[in-house]
Amino acid sequence: MDVLLIDDDSIGVFLTERLLKREGFTKNIASYSSAEAALSFLQQAEPDHLPQVIFLDLNMPVMDGWDFLEALKPQEEQLLGRCFIYILTSSLAHSDAERIVDFPLVAGLIHKPLDSRQIQAVRTQVEAPDPAGPTA
Amino acid sequence: MSYIFQLKESEQRFRALFENNPDLVLFQDGTGVILDANPAYLQALGRTKEQVMGRPLNDFLPKHLHQLFAQKLREAFAVHKVQFDVEVQFVDTSTTLMLSVTKVPLVVEGVVRGVHVVCRDMTDLFVSHRLIREQARKLNTIFESITDAFFLLDQEWRYTYVNGEVERLLAVKRENLLGQTMQDVFPAEESGIFYRHFQQAFQLGQAVHFQAPFRSRDIWLEVKAFPSKEGLSVYFSDVTEKVRSQEELYRQNQDLQQFTYIVSHNLRSPLANALGLVDLLGTLDKSSPDYDQTLDNLRASTQQLDTVLRDMNTILSIRDKQDVDEPEHVALADVVRQAYLNLEELMEQCGGEVVQHIPADLCVLGNRAYLYSIFFNLLSNAVKYRSEERPLRVEIKAVRQPGLGVEVVFADNGSGFDLEKAGPDVFRLYKRFHSSQPGRGMGLYLVKTHVETMGGQIKVHSTVNGGTQFIMQLR
Repeated sequence: MDVLLIDDDSIGVFLTERLLKREGFTKNIASYSSAEAALSFLQQAEPDHLPQVIFLDLNMPVMDGWDFLEALKPQEEQLLGRCFIYILTSSLAHSDAERIVDFPLVAGLIHKPLDSRQIQAVRTQVEAPDPAGPTA
Repeated sequence: MSYIFQLKESEQRFRALFENNPDLVLFQDGTGVILDANPAYLQALGRTKEQVMGRPLNDFLPKHLHQLFAQKLREAFAVHKVQFDVEVQFVDTSTTLMLSVTKVPLVVEGVVRGVHVVCRDMTDLFVSHRLIREQARKLNTIFESITDAFFLLDQEWRYTYVNGEVERLLAVKRENLLGQTMQDVFPAEESGIFYRHFQQAFQLGQAVHFQAPFRSRDIWLEVKAFPSKEGLSVYFSDVTEKVRSQEELYRQNQDLQQFTYIVSHNLRSPLANALGLVDLLGTLDKSSPDYDQTLDNLRASTQQLDTVLRDMNTILSIRDKQDVDEPEHVALADVVRQAYLNLEELMEQCGGEVVQHIPADLCVLGNRAYLYSIFFNLLSNAVKYRSEERPLRVEIKAVRQPGLGVEVVFADNGSGFDLEKAGPDVFRLYKRFHSSQPGRGMGLYLVKTHVETMGGQIKVHSTVNGGTQFIMQLR
């Protein structure tokens, strides 16, 4: 399962990466410290190379997580069902949970730090057959 | 025959005048004995003519006036016309009269034969004068006893009444105000805020109510002015304390917003990392290379946490002026370098450069954490809003202007923004995560807050696709 981390905080990236590995996400884990770079990667990637899971930080200096999601809107149709975005933020603001409903690509909101239980829940959700589409 | 007739006619004319005179008239000899008295006089005494004739005037006067009347009589006999005012209650009467007394000597062949005493009853006039005086005094007492400062301006803006509270609040003497115009006394206020409101009251004939700073005394006044035919009645009071506490409340509210922001972002971020790293550490083999790296990261996170807490302490206490650390002299170049180092990676990624012209020994009076935050936010914005058409170039200049403080110009060649459109919103705090526009969220708000907290000012110029320039006046 290909995973993409978007987080400007290098310690945050280190931690998430190691935790994912510990839980068996041993395949490709790529990370971007800027949302802009991640965006241009996603915009140019072949459908086959799209990551299945994206962990997206919200609070970033250049383009923040919400800006990233807005910028991804044109590709929403194409990405839906292939790419699960999880917001991974240290913020506890309640407004975040209300806001994710505007973005169908967002499969969930996780407050840092990531833990085993949450990683397993992500795995279950991503690997489950898409109820809307044909089964794999 | 005709002489006698003439004499009689003259006598009758005199009698008519004497008898019908509304004034109290009597005729006295040198010893003060009454030789004649007219009906008006008899009525005032409440006596018949028989009871009066041949008796000294003193019999009908209260004792304390005997001397005065005797004295005046002597003066009249010395061939003077005598005039004096006296308050008198005739013996056995119940009313006090205010009399204007004239004593005219009657001189026949060089000899004073007696004195005519004409008393004009001035009681009514006197009473109404006294009433006016009393009302004026009462009014004065009222204006002096109200807690408001109060003054009256006439139609020409001259002070016609000034109470004691005005003297106290404005530190003026009323004798320097009365008769002068407001423009004479407070030339600095000409066309100022007070002047404008009073003019409005005069012109529209409407009461005005406003609050304004009175600069020369460094106080805030709440003013009510009521126009009338006479001019303008102005009441005001010192509301400095109220205004100051409102300002304080506003500042504290801003602090609270900052605090919430810091807690939800800056503070929780290293804490969440630390929690995760501890979790990870528990499952790692001590000999694995990841173990040491995890431990290093844990150390770094806890240090970060401590830094944020220290900064928060500074932010929360700096506004509370009593227990603020004295502002320190901070070497500007150092702080700029620190902020740059924290963004170096991003800066290099986008191929940007920062050129600074800051003398190494240039210090500004302020707070290190604020200065750091200012340059961190400005640099971060410069990266964020750089132009795609050219490599980012940031120029930071600082010069000390004697007597004015330090002017810092932070200029980039980025994408700029439409200042007209952004207007006053540039520095405003947006609710975070509220707008889906690529937002200027917190940064410039913090920058402005920090600059102003340190007693400085900030301005911005920007041209679309030209760049942005921030000009700060620091101390």
